[in-house]
Amino acid sequence: MYSCKPIRKILALIVITLFLSLSSTSFAAVAVPDVAATDAAGVERAKAGMALYKANCTSCHAIDRKVVGPALAGVWDRWESEAKLVAWVQNSSKLIASGDAYANKVFNENNKSVMSAFPQLTAEQVMDILIYVKNPGVAEPAKAATSTDAGATAGGAENKGASAWYIWALVAFLVVLALLLWTVTSKLDKAVREKAGEVVEEIPLAKKVFSNKTFKVLMLIGSILLVFNIFGGAIDLGRSQGYAPDQPIKFSHALHVGQNKIECQYCHTGVEKSKHASIPGTQICMNCHKYVQQGPKYGKDEIAKIYDYAGWDVDKQKFTQAPKNIEWVKIHNLPDHVYFNHSQHVKVGGVKCQTCHGKVEEYEVMKQFAPLSMGWCINCHRQTEVKFAENKYYSVFQKYQDELKKGTKSKVTVEDIGGTECQKCHY
Amino acid sequence: MSNKKYWTSLDELNETPQYKEQAAKEFNFEIDANDAVDNGGTNRRDFLKAMGFSVSVAALASACKIPTHKAIPYTLDTRKAVPEVTPGVADYFATTFYDGNDCINILVKTREGRPIKIEGNTDSPFTLGGTNARAQASVLSLYDVTRLATPTIKNKKADWKTVDAEITAKLDAIAKSGGKIALVTGTVASVITKKAIEKFAAKYPTTTVVSYDAISNYATRKANQTSIGAAIIPSINYDKADVIVGFNTDFLGTGISSVENTKKYIANRVPTKENPKMSRHHQFQSTMTITGASADYRYPINPSEEKQALINLLAAVGGSVSSVKNLSGKDANDGIAKVAKELIAAKGKSVVVSGTNDVEIQLLVNAINGTLGNYGSVIDTANNYNLKSGNDEALAALANDLKAGAYKGIILIGANPVYNTPYSEIFKEAIKKAELSVSTADRPDESAQFGQYIAPDSHYLESWDIIAPKSGFYGFVQPTISALFDTRQVAESLFTWAGDTTPIAQIVQNEVAAISGGNYQTAIQAGFFGSVAAGSGAGANVGASVAGVKTETAAPKGMEVIFYEKVGLGDGTYANNPFLQELPDPVAKVTWDNYVTIPYSYAKSKGIDPQPSEKNVPIAKVTINGKSIELPVVVQFGQAANTLAIALGYGREKAGKAGDMVGKSVYPFVKSANGAASYSTDGATIELTGKTYELGLNQTYHTLMEDNSLPMRSKKYRGEIVKETTLAEYKKNEHAGNEDREKIKEEFSHSLYDGYKPNDYKQGHHWGMVVDLNACIGCGSCVVSCSIENNVPVVGKRQVYRSQEMHWMRIDRYYNGNPDNPDVSFQPMMCQHCNNAPCENVCPVNATNHSSEGLNQMAYNRCIGTRYCANNCPYKVRRFNWLDYQGADSFGKFNDGKRSFTDTEAQSYMFEDLTRMVLNPDVVTRSRGVIEKCSFCVQRIQEGKLTAKKEGRPLKDGDVKSACQTACPTNAITFGDQNNKESVVAKTFETSGRNYYVLEEQHFLSAVGYQVKVRNKDEEPAQYFIDKPSEV
Repeated sequence: MYSCKPIRKILALIVITLFLSLSSTSFAAVAVPDVAATDAAGVERAKAGMALYKANCTSCHAIDRKVVGPALAGVWDRWESEAKLVAWVQNSSKLIASGDAYANKVFNENNKSVMSAFPQLTAEQVMDILIYVKNPGVAEPAKAATSTDAGATAGGAENKGASAWYIWALVAFLVVLALLLWTVTSKLDKAVREKAGEVVEEIPLAKKVFSNKTFKVLMLIGSILLVFNIFGGAIDLGRSQGYAPDQPIKFSHALHVGQNKIECQYCHTGVEKSKHASIPGTQICMNCHKYVQQGPKYGKDEIAKIYDYAGWDVDKQKFTQAPKNIEWVKIHNLPDHVYFNHSQHVKVGGVKCQTCHGKVEEYEVMKQFAPLSMGWCINCHRQTEVKFAENKYYSVFQKYQDELKKGTKSKVTVEDIGGTECQKCHY
Repeated sequence: MSNKKYWTSLDELNETPQYKEQAAKEFNFEIDANDAVDNGGTNRRDFLKAMGFSVSVAALASACKIPTHKAIPYTLDTRKAVPEVTPGVADYFATTFYDGNDCINILVKTREGRPIKIEGNTDSPFTLGGTNARAQASVLSLYDVTRLATPTIKNKKADWKTVDAEITAKLDAIAKSGGKIALVTGTVASVITKKAIEKFAAKYPTTTVVSYDAISNYATRKANQTSIGAAIIPSINYDKADVIVGFNTDFLGTGISSVENTKKYIANRVPTKENPKMSRHHQFQSTMTITGASADYRYPINPSEEKQALINLLAAVGGSVSSVKNLSGKDANDGIAKVAKELIAAKGKSVVVSGTNDVEIQLLVNAINGTLGNYGSVIDTANNYNLKSGNDEALAALANDLKAGAYKGIILIGANPVYNTPYSEIFKEAIKKAELSVSTADRPDESAQFGQYIAPDSHYLESWDIIAPKSGFYGFVQPTISALFDTRQVAESLFTWAGDTTPIAQIVQNEVAAISGGNYQTAIQAGFFGSVAAGSGAGANVGASVAGVKTETAAPKGMEVIFYEKVGLGDGTYANNPFLQELPDPVAKVTWDNYVTIPYSYAKSKGIDPQPSEKNVPIAKVTINGKSIELPVVVQFGQAANTLAIALGYGREKAGKAGDMVGKSVYPFVKSANGAASYSTDGATIELTGKTYELGLNQTYHTLMEDNSLPMRSKKYRGEIVKETTLAEYKKNEHAGNEDREKIKEEFSHSLYDGYKPNDYKQGHHWGMVVDLNACIGCGSCVVSCSIENNVPVVGKRQVYRSQEMHWMRIDRYYNGNPDNPDVSFQPMMCQHCNNAPCENVCPVNATNHSSEGLNQMAYNRCIGTRYCANNCPYKVRRFNWLDYQGADSFGKFNDGKRSFTDTEAQSYMFEDLTRMVLNPDVVTRSRGVIEKCSFCVQRIQEGKLTAKKEGRPLKDGDVKSACQTACPTNAITFGDQNNKESVVAKTFETSGRNYYVLEEQHFLSAVGYQVKVRNKDEEPAQYFIDKPSEV
């Protein structure tokens, strides 16, 4: 495989010379062809270039702006020859050490940060990348499709609302219809009886309704339901299951956890050590966002907010100001008299984050999944089995240990070891 | 021994009808609940209105959105080297608490960067993990709202640049013109400040440095100059002494380096079955202090007789001294003879100490110790103190010069001479007139307010420093929080004015390296360096010592007055610390005041009988050599006849919201004798004014009694509550004083219902506590520690007067025996976590119940405030939140933050955001209308268990320590798991013959075991058994 490398290089050189001879404007530069959407071979190369670009370059470069390294657009005009550019990409330090003037200039202009060496990239591949960088449009799939998708989702939501409206209208219509029919039938009934010669006493409608047995039963059931409803509602006062407030930064767990598969604990560092899982400060955001400057949904806007909070100067690629606090809106609010400790549950109990927080990896906007009510806590404590065998701490529960061994007890729950007592959570 | 009578107060001793009425009640102050809320009465209409209002508010509140809370992440400035902090996990920093009197190696617990608790540093070879009340409370001083936020010029805000420029310009001008500059300091034990002063004096050579202590030990230094040839205060190894004889000394409470000395003292004071040995402690004293209370034999003597007593003792131990005269009291005379005999028997293993600031007395003490050969063994002059290094004569000379206008510049370094010296007026005028007057006070105090500049000092928890309490040992001080305000520590200010702008952290780092044996990394980690290895040093020259004493003694005129220091407040520096103001005086049990104590005999002869209750006490006018002062009167058992005693450190005028105008200052009465400040004087008269005073007294209620209502039982006087014996008895029988326990156990071994077992704790934990009455000296460190750990509110004088203080634990003080010279017992009392708890079964809402770990749990949010539990608690340890002390109520009436500590209503100190920073975030603050009590530090139990679980190991004994336990300088309190057979608690409960439970005969099955107090007495005097108390 390696043996074919020089041949490919030579081939590439030939191509480049061809291009060079064709274009009269860029003698002292690297020739990168413009690719039309119809040029199948060119599109193919651009696509290959995109893959390479995304895999290798994006952590330090963007096409149209400076990140850690300079913007890549126009790089073909800045270097005098393809050979040098390829050499730079493959091992920039070597080129700098060789004393190349432009290489040293680039190095100094960019805070003397060394570009990683990519010896695995061939000249052809470097060209593929450049072709993509010059013609990003041809490689990327049409954006129209995405917008249609979004439209469809929105429509769906509307339909859902509409269907609820229809149901209510239908119910109302049916009630009116029932009333009409009832009036008609009673009128007819009266007419029939009168015709038969009966003396029909005129009973007021209200009296008729109130003396109706069915009505009484319905009223009784209704009031019982009402009381239950009020009671339930009162219990729910102060609870906010499903609470999903707007946040100062539109942070998406779906993107970070769902797509990028970042571990929860990468950001929520306290979860195994402390009572707080802890919300990351900008210092943790900036571990990645020094390089990731653009998101798929909100582009640069939301990430620019992080830079503002973190005191990061994008142009200088430096922290220039003291960080400011991001005032997130707190979603999970336990009452003040409740003591809750994340590390107890996650580290000791081995409870998955999702058990209490739901499928966070699917949340575009973070929300409160669990009711966080005392009943909910207690229920879990009643059902959850303690890791009795694994953790030596529990050796102090000798009686249970013996019972487990004998088989008279199948499992020990949190409640069994006092997990539902007042002062486990209230002190 | 159940016929021994223990009493707490005069009324109780005499069994007055009002006492009996009071003792029967739980809430003895008749309070109309409306009084706390509304001054008008509430009728049915008002009730309906209030109900309507609350319903509509509730409806409104529910209709509105739930308030949004913010979640602020812990953001780090990555440009700086900032320590990584895990929110929710405490960090501990090793540092050192210091003032002129104490130096204590401590650990500071910080949460999210806020210091919230002080713990003793158990690694320290100096203080061995002990703390005192002042160190415990010092964390609150950090968040004192009275602290200056910036430097000031003529009491107006300024910035450091201007202040420094103006001060240095004036200093230069004064120095150039040859004008004199007075640098007035307290004791400087700081190596860094000392260096800074030297540098300052070098830059401005006309500087005179004068150090003084508000409460001085100068006479000791001066006497040692004569006896030993060096003006030192030697170490005293109380642990090596078999016989300790104290004369008016309070080495356990307020004496020099009290924590260190307490640790040493107690090492030889707790006998065990295996080693039934303890030192014998005699105390001759005029007032009653905790040191006197701990003594085995105590002899009241008047201050004027101390010198004669020492002369007699010197003669009795074989010293050549003439003019032996009999003392006025027979007890004291017999005492001298007995003490002399014992001292001679323990030559080289005994010590005589006096706390009196009188050169002649100290010389006599040196002569006695020299004669007995105690130097080198018990007294270590090589290992001497840098603490209490003030010079009374220099202060007097300075005052003289200031009067003559000799100084152009006055710089006060941590000194407040207008308040705490007798030269108040001289200093006030001098400061006002000086060309340059600077103070480094952290607040515009009595002296600083008259000066031109205040360059506020930082709190010690914000500072870098090296403290040398003793030669060869260093306490390292590091900041535990960056300065809250724009303040600067004293040394840095002095360095700056001397032209050295090296950062203070760098200076400290260099200095550690410069001291031999100093290593910065070790120091910053351990919090101390150097050694406390025993030296020996020179002994006293007996002849020279005796030669310095004029043997004639003058008879005192009128009554004698003693000015003493309190365990909490000290010399008044801590006046604005509400925790210390509310800490009851260990002996008098009075909070928030100073007062004049009179001896029992005097009260009886004058018919002073506090009426209608002990809390409404008469006010007396005390006249001392023409000057008068009016103070409330407290009867003090055991005080020497014909004496009065008044505490120093009160009557601050510019201390802050909590400390202003609490009590009265008696510093103006302090006179000089033989070149040293004298804290006693004669020529006093006292007369009642006919007025009465509401005193924040706190032991005549919440008081424990046996149930004497049962006709079958013989009447008891707390024999089931406090138990004691003598060492002689204990050697014979390890159950001495505790004999009835076997009977009680036997009684309860039968049951009518065979299967009845109240609770068994066959597995898991069963928490328990051991309290050793022998070790407890009553200092109150645990009370403050408990309050800080558990967010226990300070309630203020008025509420204490109403018997509504909130302390979760208290130290009961009981007297027994002769009221003119009683024995004193201290008993820490907190929730006993009874397994058969009377409080639990009366709660209508089950807010208090029992856990499977033996804890008597209290769920505040379930409590509806019926107070049945408090009424039913036999130990009187439940506290009710009559008012919203912490600003926890959302509709609190008192949330205006404007109330002061002397107000009649709730205290508002916890309503300040700054002050609230001291709250422990793991413990909830309780709102009005709920009961609270000791939880056995459940948050620490839970934390300890969690740590063990995370590490996957069983919980070890000592993993969980309660806040009272860690604060105790005598290890009197031990917490642990009764189910862990290796634990101290389990072993003590199982094997100790001294173990008993308070009110065990009532079968509450308490989880706190007390250890019988053993006094090292030869025999119990007959009068200690009193069946008919009316005789006394």
